[in-house]
Amino acid sequence: MINKYKYILLLGCSLILISLLFSCKSHHEDEYHNIVDKIEAKSTLYNGTSISSEAYIEPNTIEITEGEHTFLIPERKSQITSYACTECHAKPLGELQDSTKYKKAHWNIKLKHANAHTMNCVTCHNSADMDNLKSLTGEAIDFNRSYNLCSQCHTQQFKDWKGGAHGKRIGGWAPPRASLTCVNCHNPHQPQIKSKWPVRYNTQKEIERD
Amino acid sequence: MSSNNKKWFSLNLSNRKKEQSSSCSCGNTSGQCASQQTPEVIDNEQNKDGFEQVFDVTMDRRTAFKKLTASLMIGAGAVSTSCSVISSDESKEKAQIDWEEQFKGNYRLMTDEEKQATVERLVRSYQLRTGKTINMSSKNAEENVLFGYAFNISKCQGYMDCVNACVEENNQDRNSQMQYIRIHEMKEGNGFNFGEADDNYYHEVPAEGHFYMGTQCFHCDNPPCTKVCPVKATWKEDDGLVVIDYDWCIGCRYCMAACPYDGRRFNWSQPEVPEEEINKNQHYLGNRMRKKGVMEKCTFCVQRSRAGKNPACVEACPTGARIFGNLLDPDSTIRWVLENKKVFRLKEDLGTEPKFWYFMD
Amino acid sequence: MKRLFVFINLIKDSLDTITRGSKGYHLWMGFLTFVMLVGMYCYGIQLDQGLSATGMNDSVSWGLYISNFTFLVGVAAAAVILVMPTYVLKDIDFKRAVLIGEGLAVAALVMCLAFVIADMGGPSVLWHMIPVIGVFNFPDSMLTWDVIALNGYLFINISIPFYILFRHYQGKEAKSSVYIPGALLSVFWAVGIHLVTAFLYQGLQSRPFWNNALLGPRFLASAFAAGPALIILVLAVIRAYTPFSIEDKTIKKISLVVTVAAQINLIMLVSELFKEFYAPTHHSESAYYLFFGLGEKKALLPWIWTAISMNVIATLLLTFHKLRNNFRVLFFACTILFLAIWIEKGFGLIVPGFIPGSYGKISEYTPSGIEIGVTLGIWALGAFIFTILSKTAIQIEIGALRYKKQK
Repeated sequence: MINKYKYILLLGCSLILISLLFSCKSHHEDEYHNIVDKIEAKSTLYNGTSISSEAYIEPNTIEITEGEHTFLIPERKSQITSYACTECHAKPLGELQDSTKYKKAHWNIKLKHANAHTMNCVTCHNSADMDNLKSLTGEAIDFNRSYNLCSQCHTQQFKDWKGGAHGKRIGGWAPPRASLTCVNCHNPHQPQIKSKWPVRYNTQKEIERD
Repeated sequence: MSSNNKKWFSLNLSNRKKEQSSSCSCGNTSGQCASQQTPEVIDNEQNKDGFEQVFDVTMDRRTAFKKLTASLMIGAGAVSTSCSVISSDESKEKAQIDWEEQFKGNYRLMTDEEKQATVERLVRSYQLRTGKTINMSSKNAEENVLFGYAFNISKCQGYMDCVNACVEENNQDRNSQMQYIRIHEMKEGNGFNFGEADDNYYHEVPAEGHFYMGTQCFHCDNPPCTKVCPVKATWKEDDGLVVIDYDWCIGCRYCMAACPYDGRRFNWSQPEVPEEEINKNQHYLGNRMRKKGVMEKCTFCVQRSRAGKNPACVEACPTGARIFGNLLDPDSTIRWVLENKKVFRLKEDLGTEPKFWYFMD
Repeated sequence: MKRLFVFINLIKDSLDTITRGSKGYHLWMGFLTFVMLVGMYCYGIQLDQGLSATGMNDSVSWGLYISNFTFLVGVAAAAVILVMPTYVLKDIDFKRAVLIGEGLAVAALVMCLAFVIADMGGPSVLWHMIPVIGVFNFPDSMLTWDVIALNGYLFINISIPFYILFRHYQGKEAKSSVYIPGALLSVFWAVGIHLVTAFLYQGLQSRPFWNNALLGPRFLASAFAAGPALIILVLAVIRAYTPFSIEDKTIKKISLVVTVAAQINLIMLVSELFKEFYAPTHHSESAYYLFFGLGEKKALLPWIWTAISMNVIATLLLTFHKLRNNFRVLFFACTILFLAIWIEKGFGLIVPGFIPGSYGKISEYTPSGIEIGVTLGIWALGAFIFTILSKTAIQIEIGALRYKKQK
């Protein structure tokens, strides 16, 4: 009898062992240690996908190449009311500054960008060439490529923007890449983004937690 | 639509009256049109859930525990409806669809044809119920795609536009105010202290001395939630999305207990979305209408992402704090972020390998 | 063929037995039926409204149902305490108690399954869990292990007593070569069901309160305290109200088991408390919530301290031979021990696992009336099943129910 029990015991134990082994084996661990390894390994075989976000990108974009990054940004000039500026600014700016003769123009623009020691209108605008912006060294910068102006000071942001860590992506995630440029989000005269109220409040959650 | 004074749309397969009143030649839906039939009043009108849908009878509480034998009765109901000479072709078709839907298999194990068939049944069923056409996809994961997400903590201002967009895109229950995304308002200088953070603020943002951190499903590469599911109703797709087959889920909520990131939501009651707010561009694994008693969660908007678009939260974010893309594409912006910014993930020590990274400027 | 005939006769006879009885018996069964009907009505409402009819929500997603389930698995596992000495070690004393113990296990298992089903969001698609027809995520999901364990244990606990009673019904001795392998298996299985149920919680890295290696052993210790405590109480009732005689010696032996298990359980509790409070980390927050409350949120405080004081008192009472051998004290100690463990291992274990939530948010849990109704209904169902089973078993054992050849 005792032998019989031993046999049954053995059988029970081996059954448990077998099922455990089975469960460990079927629990197929990924061949990669972590997700970063997996990404690195798998992307060496990357040869593109059939998905494109071309269809979601608005037509008014221009392609730019900065360093090793090439992507689309929205075209700017057509979005500026009454561009080209020279349509009004026919004369040099100095002649227009007599307030007894002319009405004030651009009175609504208040500059809240850096402090008065650092910046005023002519840091970016060129009184002699109103249709273009100007760099610190006086070179002309096209309105469509105004990021070149911003990047003079905001170098870190410029680097992030080129790479894609700063600035909103438009269209889709798939190539080709299209991103907003600086002035699409930041008003160049008051670049600080304004505070506002959140768009929603969850009343149910409050009830749940009381 | 105004017939039974119902403001909400709800899954209600057995209510045949609806479609009769849904269209009217004069296009007037307010009930003023003379040609509109006055629909019969259904006195015990109530919301139908997934398995009540299959009953072809209206029910009240007194008969409620008969529902225990639901599956059997569905069968009987469907057989009797399909054999009945009196009932219309449409209700026969509906019974046929309900029957096939009740006893279909797990989506993950279906062939592409079967996936297509179930999607077609669901579209047709919706059409029979509401007279409206939806567009439902069963698109599979694409080769060479692994979705990943990055969140810029310095950029988020706590506006909650993402939450709004998510709710609208994904047809989440409006009554319980279900939200996949939580934005935690954290005090500067306290580190990432979620316990002291406020995830339900309502004041002007960004608040002085605070920063904002969004959480949602992180689509872990080693998801604890899919492992514990007793019926494999939730799984990780080849493109890394962790999805749920709502029709296969039995509602045990084990995955909810297993998720360390509060990424999963349960339909405690019948989810309701106003008819006019329903997003009709749907995916089987994504934002199609759910029923009560099943789990749901963020799918990185599978209906959008598999088509090449950004998820709704990324598109809605006014600050560009949300970055989405293909982790396998070495030229993608998400890869640039991972390689050039100081990224981290939440609760990394748990070994869940989330595909959702945080970083700062 | 002959066996089938005997079986049909057994069913007929036992139906006859369970429908007859004293006034008290009828009142008792009527009461249970009433509670069951109330429970079914509540469940009907729950089916209709969804689980929003309960007190559970997105942060505390398991409540009273799963708490009771966890506790009852322990009660079911405790049958082994009687099985092992009787069948395997051939202890004559336990022989009469063992059928009652196994009946209790069957009732507890039925209640477990009922609680799990009550907790499901979609009971109509439960067939998805049936292997082959559905998809059974074995061995990855601990819930599937639990399904196997519970159903297997239910099968064992039905078949062994059934075999013995069936033989006795015919006036034959039960063959030990038939039931002893089953009994041996059930011993392993009982430990298994309880460990597996503990693993269900223990395996979740998201819930630090549960993710602790002591959970399984502590489950076992508390089960071997609460289960036999209930058996003692049930035996006391049976002894008082039926002709089925149970010796004092049996009860005393079982009480020894209860004592040792309760002592071990207390030691483990101390160890757990030490770990949580000597060097508290943020993983100790759940324990803080349970024992001291977090800020204004202290719903479980009165419960857990009641449980702990009852636990300590009961263990102290049981530890002294003189007190334990006084049956009045013993029954009192068993009652409070049972209640203490029900609290401690029920919602004292499940609810704090969810509080604070994944991101430190606290929403407390209070069961709704519907939930309590369903829970009471299921307990009544268990009591009902147990009464039927034990009544039949007792009638057969005392020889009142016998197969009559050629009436």
